[in-house]
Amino acid sequence: MDDHVVAQAIDLTKVYGDADNRVLALDHVNVEFERGQMTAIMGPSGSGKSTLMHCMAGLDQPTSGKVIVEGLEVSAMNQRQLTKLRREQIGFIFQSFNLVPTLSAEENILLPLQIAKKPIDRAWFKQVVSVVGLEHRLKHRPSQLSGGQQQRVACARAMMARPSVIFADEPTGNLDSHSSREVLGFLKQSVQQYGQSIVMVTHDPRAASYADRVLVLADGNITQDLRHPSYDRILEVFADEGNEDGDAEPNA
Amino acid sequence: MIRIGLRDARAHFGRFVMSIIAIALGVSFVVGSFCFREMMNNQVDQMLASNSDADVYVRGDTEQKDDTSASFAASSSGSESGSDSTQTSTESKNYNRIDVSLVDTIGSVQGVDTAEAVYEVNGLVLVGKDGNAVSTMGGMTSGMGLSQGTWRSATLTQGRWAKAKDEITLHTFAAETAGLNVGDTTKLVYPDGPADVRVVGIFSTASSQAGAIIIGLDPATAKEYFQQQSGQIGTARYLTVYGSAAQGQPLSVEQQQTLADRINKALPADANAVAVTGQSVRDDNAASTKKALGFIQPLILIFAIIALFVGSFIITNTFSMIVRESMRGYALLRSIGASPVQVFVTVAVQAVLLGLVGSGIGIGLGWGMVKGIVALMARMGTPMTGAVNPSVSDMLVGLIVGVLVTLIGASLPARRAAMAPPIQAMNETVNPEKPVWPRGIIGAIMMVLGVCAWAVCWRIAWVNTNGGEVSPWSRFNDLATTLGTGWPLGIGAGLIVIGVIVLAPALVTPTSAVLGWIPSHVFTVTGRLATRNLSRSKRRTANTAAALFVGVAIVSCLGVIASSAKASVAGIVDSGLKSDFSAMSVSNGQIPDDAIEAIKNTEGIDTVSQSRMLMGVTYGSGDDEASAMTFAEQPSLFTKVFAPVTNAGDADKALRDGELVVGLEVAKDNGWKVGDEVRVNGRQVVVDEAATAKAQADYQAQVKGTIDNLTAQAQQLMAAGDMAGAQAKTKEIEKVSDDAKNVDPATMVKTKNETTHVTMKVGAIIENSIYRSMVLMNDDAANKIANKYTMFTIMLFINGKSGIDLDGLKTRLIDAVKPYYVVNVQNRDEFKSTMSSMVDQILLVLYALLALSIVIAIFGIVNTLALSVSERTKEIGLLRAIGTSRAQIRGMLGIEAAIIAVFGTVLGMVVGVAAGVVIRAVYEANGLSTLSIPWNQLAVFLALSILVGLIASVSPASRALKQPVLDAVASE
Repeated sequence: MDDHVVAQAIDLTKVYGDADNRVLALDHVNVEFERGQMTAIMGPSGSGKSTLMHCMAGLDQPTSGKVIVEGLEVSAMNQRQLTKLRREQIGFIFQSFNLVPTLSAEENILLPLQIAKKPIDRAWFKQVVSVVGLEHRLKHRPSQLSGGQQQRVACARAMMARPSVIFADEPTGNLDSHSSREVLGFLKQSVQQYGQSIVMVTHDPRAASYADRVLVLADGNITQDLRHPSYDRILEVFADEGNEDGDAEPNA
Repeated sequence: MIRIGLRDARAHFGRFVMSIIAIALGVSFVVGSFCFREMMNNQVDQMLASNSDADVYVRGDTEQKDDTSASFAASSSGSESGSDSTQTSTESKNYNRIDVSLVDTIGSVQGVDTAEAVYEVNGLVLVGKDGNAVSTMGGMTSGMGLSQGTWRSATLTQGRWAKAKDEITLHTFAAETAGLNVGDTTKLVYPDGPADVRVVGIFSTASSQAGAIIIGLDPATAKEYFQQQSGQIGTARYLTVYGSAAQGQPLSVEQQQTLADRINKALPADANAVAVTGQSVRDDNAASTKKALGFIQPLILIFAIIALFVGSFIITNTFSMIVRESMRGYALLRSIGASPVQVFVTVAVQAVLLGLVGSGIGIGLGWGMVKGIVALMARMGTPMTGAVNPSVSDMLVGLIVGVLVTLIGASLPARRAAMAPPIQAMNETVNPEKPVWPRGIIGAIMMVLGVCAWAVCWRIAWVNTNGGEVSPWSRFNDLATTLGTGWPLGIGAGLIVIGVIVLAPALVTPTSAVLGWIPSHVFTVTGRLATRNLSRSKRRTANTAAALFVGVAIVSCLGVIASSAKASVAGIVDSGLKSDFSAMSVSNGQIPDDAIEAIKNTEGIDTVSQSRMLMGVTYGSGDDEASAMTFAEQPSLFTKVFAPVTNAGDADKALRDGELVVGLEVAKDNGWKVGDEVRVNGRQVVVDEAATAKAQADYQAQVKGTIDNLTAQAQQLMAAGDMAGAQAKTKEIEKVSDDAKNVDPATMVKTKNETTHVTMKVGAIIENSIYRSMVLMNDDAANKIANKYTMFTIMLFINGKSGIDLDGLKTRLIDAVKPYYVVNVQNRDEFKSTMSSMVDQILLVLYALLALSIVIAIFGIVNTLALSVSERTKEIGLLRAIGTSRAQIRGMLGIEAAIIAVFGTVLGMVVGVAAGVVIRAVYEANGLSTLSIPWNQLAVFLALSILVGLIASVSPASRALKQPVLDAVASE
């Protein structure tokens, strides 16, 4: 596998439901995610974008096909191997409910390292915290932080272990536009400055416009693969998709 | 709305299983306790109906203080909680004894069928077919002088009644247990030694005898031994009278009354006797026996309450889970116009259904439990024939309790469901918990009050022992005197237990920080997460721990008392007992003289000390006359057998000089001090010369009468020409006169009681716990007030020659007493363990209780964890997503559960041990002289509690891990 590919899906198929009630979420998808890039996955509801990400991250078992992250076949892993994968290769950012309420911001950020019993790189911690601008909020509990601040803690947590790839599931879904911009800016910065690879699912074209590459999914197939698209270009594509399918989502 | 509730209930059935188990357990204890009490009462009634079946009893008319046997059992065990309930005599009160000659007076009253004194001999040992002594868990072996008509409820099924000392009739249960049949010969150990006897008959009674071995003896033999045992001649506690008004059937209550009135008229005024109806005696006896057994039910009920308490919050937890999951549904109902009451009803319906199912199972379980106990008792040799089926009211009580507890448990979550505004219900927001400090303050105040009550109690007990005033305030002193120690103790315990339960939520955060210190340093992440999770819902954590708290508190309190009792007893043996061996009768009776001889003749024996009990000794005169257990000892007692723990005077010198050595208890009761002169009233049985002469004259007159009569008949027959008949009569005459010649003059000897009064000096007061309630004197002094008919050897203390092999000596001693069956030889260690065997029985009960509270606590912890896992589904998913392994999640929940369990256990131990220490101090004077805290046992409890927590966490953790990570973290 090429070194510039951090994660890869080969002939990935995912079917939900039984014989009578079949839903084809992913239909023989082949895709490569490149190292040091932010890739956005877009698509209307039910297009399979979340399923693709869940399969890539080892959260869901594909029906057939392969998922490979850093040369390791995720789709064939047992629980123990998955845990190891999550500790070493993967970081997560979720839409909501993503911090442990009993722990302070600092403890939340350090949690993955402590769980994995890895040494803490204090210099890196300081750097990450300063990038996300949480220097004065480290002792606060999640309930004492705003939504944007919470999501920044989550970003810092994902960065902290320096994973091969961060999967972000609608990271701005619960945030106002100001906070969204802050979080997206931080993600972009981590890609540009530290070469972090990020795969982000979103249906917000504004968020997608921060990405180096935008994949558009519809009915379990990748229909578009755009490099460095502008916001307008994304809107345009989406308008087309909407016209073709007739069930496009209203823009967020 | 009800239909929705029912449908929900079906959907949630899996969730309800644990609640149903909890309710069923609680209800089963409630029903079981009632059922058990009724069964015991029924058994008591049945036994009384067949064992005290006389129509009228004639007994003494003045009540008397009890003196001997019961207090002996209590004092030698050295424990307050004496389990002599099984021996509680069926006589609630003691009356003066009456003269058996009244039988003649009563027998001639119109309507009396038979009037007799039935003599009972206790402490017999029957040797079974296999050559071993027959013993059962149920209790003692007793012999009764029985012949035709003396016991109406006893029906002879085989053979005949015993007519001589070498004949016995056996109760069916006794025959079965011993494996004996009519015609078999075996040995019966009478109080004075074993004798060969033949089984001549078997009889049955309507009710089972709860494991007692009953032997029908020849009435004359029974009388002889009864007089020996009681030290009284010609008197009985009561006479039994059967009336003839119902043609051999029991009389009705009215008929009994008529007969009693008639007998009372006939009784001479100076007989000090009164006739009472059989029914009233049975009622009195039933009441007192039931009272003695009454402690069992509250004990079971305590655990019923714990189970229901745990049950109620298991239900609260379960419904909280259900309500939380169905919140959207309720919000929908509300938004389409359902009123809060209607939403409440949908939840309440489920609760009622759950309560009904749980109670129903519980009633069956309780019933089965009592049946199981009865079956177990029967296997251990105590068959019960009392009815075990629960009455309708029992079932109703169980049902109501079960449903009510369920409703109470469900009402809070139901209210939450009903009151939540529709919009809030849509969003899953967790409201922060109300602060717990107000509860902390209230709980702390209650505990302080409780501790004060205990302090007062301690002080009162101290004052009772040492004299002085309770406090400087006289009004308070009066109150303290009226209250005694019991009330402050109970109130204090109640306040502290409730105080701790109220206070507990406030303790959760500090405690989990302390208890979590080790886990959060060993398992950095999981330990810390677990510790913090506990503080999230402090009330829930505290309630879960409370179940274990109450159980452990009871168990550790009893543990401290039992251990102290044991230590107090062991203290005497360790520090006091000097002799190598002791011997006593296993039937708690006297040691036969032959057995004493056999022991004395055993090779290697240096000295043998005899402890002889003096029957019926009283002290003082007039109204101050008091009885006390009195023993005759060898002067060497205090140098060879027991080292005295002297309170005042010189015990060794006093005993040698023929002065009284008084136990502390007796001295205190009578206000004696060293140097006091005390009048001692002893009792001797002597030959009544006049009566003996009269008896012999009567017998001769009777023989002469018979011969004269037969001679007259022979002459008539001869006159009538019937030579053969006349010859037969002559033979009879010869036989009668031969019999008269061969008759043992001893049977003609009549004896009587004589009381002797001697004044003795109190030489020393001792406080060895074994002697606390006794008076000791040397043999010479004892011989002045008693003779061999009123003194019995109860114990022997044996010293081997110096340097002898003690194990070998023990074997020889055991061989020497083997033919006497009842004599048990023990070395020092065995003696000690005998003394504490009753304590061990208490401990056995203790472990059963502990097991029970552990089971209940596990349910509570499992349920609480299950709820908190369901609340934290997303959080656990998140932890998994960022790399937490399955083992780490299990570890986290395990630590949480273990901390809850340890929290409850530690609280319980602190309160229980404190209670034990206070109770020990309060009852110090009653034999609990040494405080001993069973640290090892407590350490085991603590270790066990960690284990309990870990076990309890297994299933909730599995549930948490079964949830796919994806479900937990996916946004929708």
